[in-house]
Amino acid sequence: MTPAIRRPAARVGLYFAAFAIALYSAFPIYWMVSSSLRPTQELLLNPSLIPSELTLQYYYSLLAQTDYPRQFLNSLIVAVATVALTMVLSVMIAYGVTRQRIRGKKAIIAGMLYAYMFPPLLLAIPLYAMFTKVGLNDTLFSLVISHLTMTMPLGVWFLWGFFKAMPFELEEAAMVDGCTRLGAFLRVVLPLSVPGLVTVAIFAFLLSWTDYTFALVMIGSDVNKTVPLGLASMIGAFDLRWGDVMAGSTLIALPLFIAFILLSRYFVQGLTAGAVKG
Amino acid sequence: MTRWMLPAFLAVGVLVTLLLIVGPALYAVSLSFFDLPSLTSDPVWVGLAKYQAVLASAEFWRALWNGIVYAGLAIVLQVVLGIGFALILHQPFRGRALVRGLAFLPYLLPTVIAVLTFKWMVDGSLGIVTILMDEWGLPPIYWFETEQAAMISVILVSVWLWTPFVTTTFLAGLQTVPTQLYEAARVDGAGPIRRFFHITLPVLRPILTVIILLRGVWMFNKFDVIWLTTGGGPVGATEHLPILSYRTAFTLYDIGTGAAIATISFLFLSLAVFLYFRVFPMEDDA
Repeated sequence: MTPAIRRPAARVGLYFAAFAIALYSAFPIYWMVSSSLRPTQELLLNPSLIPSELTLQYYYSLLAQTDYPRQFLNSLIVAVATVALTMVLSVMIAYGVTRQRIRGKKAIIAGMLYAYMFPPLLLAIPLYAMFTKVGLNDTLFSLVISHLTMTMPLGVWFLWGFFKAMPFELEEAAMVDGCTRLGAFLRVVLPLSVPGLVTVAIFAFLLSWTDYTFALVMIGSDVNKTVPLGLASMIGAFDLRWGDVMAGSTLIALPLFIAFILLSRYFVQGLTAGAVKG
Repeated sequence: MTRWMLPAFLAVGVLVTLLLIVGPALYAVSLSFFDLPSLTSDPVWVGLAKYQAVLASAEFWRALWNGIVYAGLAIVLQVVLGIGFALILHQPFRGRALVRGLAFLPYLLPTVIAVLTFKWMVDGSLGIVTILMDEWGLPPIYWFETEQAAMISVILVSVWLWTPFVTTTFLAGLQTVPTQLYEAARVDGAGPIRRFFHITLPVLRPILTVIILLRGVWMFNKFDVIWLTTGGGPVGATEHLPILSYRTAFTLYDIGTGAAIATISFLFLSLAVFLYFRVFPMEDDA
C-alpha cells in the first residue's frame, strides 16, 4: 500500500485535487440531470446552480408526446438480443479455441482483436448493402447483427483469457466421473466462469445501448429508431426543447449508472482486461 | 456428441466470423474498385481510379491531417489527465471510493448524450458555461463557428468521454507496482517526481503503449463524436477520414470513393494492430 500523505498542506492539496476530479467528471452529468428537473422559466431564464424547485414536466411531455417510449423499447430489445447472442457465440468460440487441439489458434484470437478494432463505418456500409439485398434493411434485426460485429470479438477476446486460465483437470475429473463433455462444460466450466460472463454481458450491453454509428446507417424509419438516434435527430429540430432532450438523456443513462453502482467491480475488470474500444 | 462438441463450436465461430466480419470487410474493400452511385445500381469496374482521385484531392489530405491532429491531441490529453487522476486516486483519502466511481461515469455515457449535454452547456444564450463566462467578464467563445474552436470542442468532448479508460487501467496498473521499489528509492533519497519517472512509468510502459497505439488509432477512426458535434464543419475544419468517407458515400452518392477512403484508414488500423502484435507477441500456450 502507498503510505498516506501526512503533511497538512499536502493533504489539503490532495483533497482539492480529488474535488477537482469529481467536479470535472460529474458536473456535466449533474447539469444534465438537474436541467431535466427544472421548471421551464428557471431553465431558460435564470439557471442557478441548484434548482429552486423540481418538476417532472419534461418527463411527462417526453413520454406522452414523443416517440421516446418506442425508441426506449427498441434500444432495449436490440441490447438484450445482442447480449444473448454475444454470450452464446463468444462462449462457444472461446471454449472451442482453448480446448480443441488445432493449428492456427493464435491466428483466430489475434483475428478477434483485429476484428474488434474494425471501424464501425467500414462494416456498416457493406452490412447495410447486404441487408438491403435480402430485404432486411431498416429492421431491429439488422441492428442486432451489426452490433454483434463489435460485441462478439470482444467477448471471445475476453473469455479466451478466462477459459485459458481455467485448469483442464477440472473438466477431466468431471468426465472421469461420468460426465459427457457437454455436461462437464455446462456443470463445471460455466458456473466457474460467471464473473467473466457477467463482464462480457455488461460490455455487450454497453456497446449496443450506446451505439449511434451503426443505427445511423442501418435504421431509416422513425418506428425503428433507438434512443441515441432519436435524441440525435432532436438536435436538428427547429425548436430545440432542451428540457425534453435532457430528460431523455437522463433516462437512457440511468440504467447504466444503476448497473455501475451494483456491478462496478465487473466494469473495472472488463475495462482493464481487454476492452480497448468503447 | 462428446467428440463433435468442440469442432462444432469452432465451426459455428468460423462461420459467423466469416459471414459477419471478414465477408463484409472484404466486400467494403472491393467496392473501392467500382463506380457505384447507389447500392442498387450496377457496379462499373474502374480499377485504382478511385484511389488516384482520392490521393490527388486536397480534401483527403486535409481530412488526414485533421484526423492526426484530433486523434493525437485527444489521446495525449487523455493520457496526461488519466495518469494524473490515477496518481491522485491511488492515494488513500476519505471518500476515495466515491471519487473513483464519479471519475468512471463519463465512460458509461452514450456519445450522443455527452455531445448534447456539451451543446446545452455552451449554448450561445442559455448555456451555463456561456452565462458564467459572461458573469466573469470573459469574451464569448464561438464553440462551433470558428475553425480552432470547433476542433477544441470535439477534442474536449472526446477527452471527457474517454479519460476514465486511461484512469481506470492506469489505476489498476499502479496497484501492481511492487512497493519495495518505492521504499528502496525513498531510502536512496529519490523524491516523488523521480520516483514517478524512474519507477512508475517504466513499470507501466506496456499499458501506456497499448493505450497510445490501439486507442490512438481507434480515435483516428472514431466517427460519432465529430459527426454529432460539428458534422465536420465549419467548412471542413473538423472533417477527418471517417466523416469524409461517410459524406462521400451517402451525401455525394459515390460509394466507390467512400469505400476507397475507408480502406485507406483501414490500412492505418491494420498497421497499428500489426505493431501491437510485434510489441506484444501472443504467448505460445494460446
